[in-house]
Amino acid sequence: MTNATETASTTATPALRIDSVAKTFSTPHGDVVALEPISLDIQQGEFIAIIGPSGCGKSTLMNAVGGLLEDYEGRVEVDGTVVRGCHKEIGMVFQEESTFPWRTALDNVAFPLEAAGVGKAERHEKAMELLNLVGLDGFENRFPAELSGGMRQRIAIARTLAFKPRILLMDEPFAALDEQTRLLLGDKVLQIQQELNQTTMLITHNIAEAVQLADRVLIMTFRPGRIKRVIDIDLPRPRSSKMMGGERFGQYVAAIWDDLREEASKGLLELEQVRS
Amino acid sequence: MAAVEQIGRAGKAPAEFWTVNRLRIAGIVAILGVWEIAGWSGLFFRGVLPSTVFIVGSMAELLMSAEFYWHLAVTGFEVLVSFIIGCFFGTLVGLVLGTRKFTGDVFEPFIHYLAPTPKIVFLPILLVLFGVGVWSKVALGAISAFFPMALGVAAGVRQVSAVLLRVGKTFNLTTMQTVRMIYLPAMVPPIATGLRIGLGISIVGCLLSEYKLAKAGLGFLAGQYYESFAVAHMLAVLVIIFIFASIGNVLIEKYVRLPGPGDVKAHR
Amino acid sequence: MTMPQSASSPHNASGGPGSGRGITIPPVLARTLFLIVAIGFWELASQIGWINPFTAPPPSAIWGGLIQIIQAGELGAAFVRTFLEALAASAIGSIGGIAIGWWLHSGKKIGVAYTSWVAAAASAPLVLLYPLFLVIFGRNSSTIVAMGALGCMPAIILKAKDGLDGVRPVLLNVGKAFSLTPRQQFRMIQFPAALPVIFTGIRIGLLFAIINVVGVEFLIAFGGLGQLISDLGDRFDYPAMYAAIFFVVLVSVAFFYLTEKLELWLLSSK
Repeated sequence: MTNATETASTTATPALRIDSVAKTFSTPHGDVVALEPISLDIQQGEFIAIIGPSGCGKSTLMNAVGGLLEDYEGRVEVDGTVVRGCHKEIGMVFQEESTFPWRTALDNVAFPLEAAGVGKAERHEKAMELLNLVGLDGFENRFPAELSGGMRQRIAIARTLAFKPRILLMDEPFAALDEQTRLLLGDKVLQIQQELNQTTMLITHNIAEAVQLADRVLIMTFRPGRIKRVIDIDLPRPRSSKMMGGERFGQYVAAIWDDLREEASKGLLELEQVRS
Repeated sequence: MAAVEQIGRAGKAPAEFWTVNRLRIAGIVAILGVWEIAGWSGLFFRGVLPSTVFIVGSMAELLMSAEFYWHLAVTGFEVLVSFIIGCFFGTLVGLVLGTRKFTGDVFEPFIHYLAPTPKIVFLPILLVLFGVGVWSKVALGAISAFFPMALGVAAGVRQVSAVLLRVGKTFNLTTMQTVRMIYLPAMVPPIATGLRIGLGISIVGCLLSEYKLAKAGLGFLAGQYYESFAVAHMLAVLVIIFIFASIGNVLIEKYVRLPGPGDVKAHR
Repeated sequence: MTMPQSASSPHNASGGPGSGRGITIPPVLARTLFLIVAIGFWELASQIGWINPFTAPPPSAIWGGLIQIIQAGELGAAFVRTFLEALAASAIGSIGGIAIGWWLHSGKKIGVAYTSWVAAAASAPLVLLYPLFLVIFGRNSSTIVAMGALGCMPAIILKAKDGLDGVRPVLLNVGKAFSLTPRQQFRMIQFPAALPVIFTGIRIGLLFAIINVVGVEFLIAFGGLGQLISDLGDRFDYPAMYAAIFFVVLVSVAFFYLTEKLELWLLSSK
């Protein structure tokens, strides 16, 4: 199968290199191949979106790269160094509600710094900077229960950026939010990424979101997952949700949907077979 | 998401040996072992922790003596009668509190807040009123069992789905029919729980009052053995009490239920 | 017939005819009135002789008895004694209970194997075992505290295990993502997340501890309030004895109420 990797050039060490990462799960029903060998290079400052139907193994890939899954074939390299397991340089934002309800916004963001032994004054200062970055200044002393879903995800993002990780992984971070919040949050994430030149890998099932945010969109096949196609998104930066009505935007979305639909229907087919 | 659950299953090899059943056997062995060692170790005064062998021996001795069965009968009588009285009045009051909103609002807090108080402290009054015999114990057991029963039934009544009651109304059921055909079946789970708790509390109430002041009964017997430092016999009586209490519990669980899936509404 | 009304809610689906008079009496007021009437009736009946004034002394005499034991210092000393014993019992039970609850949570098979035993112990009449502690520790405070601790441990163990089991996996993943050590994971994530449930357990434990402590004090006539009641009964000083009994009821009601409010507050802010 063609590894549709389009490394920009092999002279610069990629910020993230995924080298033939594959995963097979042994279940009572036999072996299930979740991921066929995936290879991918991501350059510094790039924004990659991975899109695929449910069951394509994108979460498995995210967990492998992020380090929650350590038992896989292949290698993951950050700046040329092999990593396996959780690492300071790889930050993860999860889909579910992940702020700590018993901590204020400030203490949530300061959490990783506190765990690393950073002093109170220093970590509060850094946490305030990050809260400013995500636009939550003024809310630092509120508890997550008092804030909206979108604001809570912003806290989670700010917290993940506390150590300035080289790679930011986001697993469908906006899935639980309504459409408007999702768009505005997307803008915010873009803004952060541009400001920090943050290398980002986003997993999503939302095509518009992928086109809005990414430099490259990787389409994954249904299980066993592999990269079906890579599409360069050649829209001008800086991007914003205002582009969404544009013609080229629509073309990209349509192109991706064509590929995706094929894979998604395979998934539906399997579901129907299981049910019958 | 499923992938997250399958993470970190490394290192299973030593865990394979320990099945749940083996763990349980090991647990029993460990507890008995600690008991035996503590008894032999000399840490405690001689005879304070008799070996399991002696306890079992005492149990056998007891079960073969006629006197034991007399005491068992006395306690059994006390528990049964106090349980019935307590549960009966508890159910009655619970029904009233659960169905009549104003009455419930006014009086249930009394029961709710009195429930966790130690009823044993009422024993002196009951001793004066009913004497040293079985009836003071019955009274205490009944009072103790009343509270959890009343609260459980009241809560159970309120939980009966308003929808079901409306269905009954559309069929023009009489009050008696509503009680019999909708309330009672729906309340089997909370009543069963109330009965189970009530039985345990009756047992405790009766036995504790026997410990304190009585002329007969298993609690009285245990007290006698304590006085004469016959620790093995005393523990044997306690073990037998526990076994009977557990049997009672299991019986209630088994027989107080509806045929088939009995829950109208999921009960904690 | 007018709709039954009550201050606590405008209308309800279930609930029968009730107080359908159309007058709204707040339940608190009704309760107070009821108490006043009941006490008044008791006073009258006892003074007249409808009920035996020896076995059921009139409230006025009971009040006198209360003053008597307060002034003699008996009640204060007994209360402090019981309170400290209950506190010690509940502390030991909490620490042991949380530790064992953590152990049951830490291993899946261990949890499956032993949790049902603990659940059985939680509903078992453990207080019946006090003669054993009496034999081991003798007739002193250790027996009382030990009994109290044993009485509250099963409930705390179950709540601790439930609380820890119930921590959402995503929160633990956040910890893993930041490479927290197991100790940090417990201290900074698991324990705070499980705390509301654990606190419920500690509260239940405290109540069990008070019940068991006062009960055993009464039974062995040693210690604080339980002993006071037992002694006053032995002396046939029934007015003071009733006063002491009501005091115990008042204390346990107060504890129950306060911890209930505290628990609600804790749960609401999380």
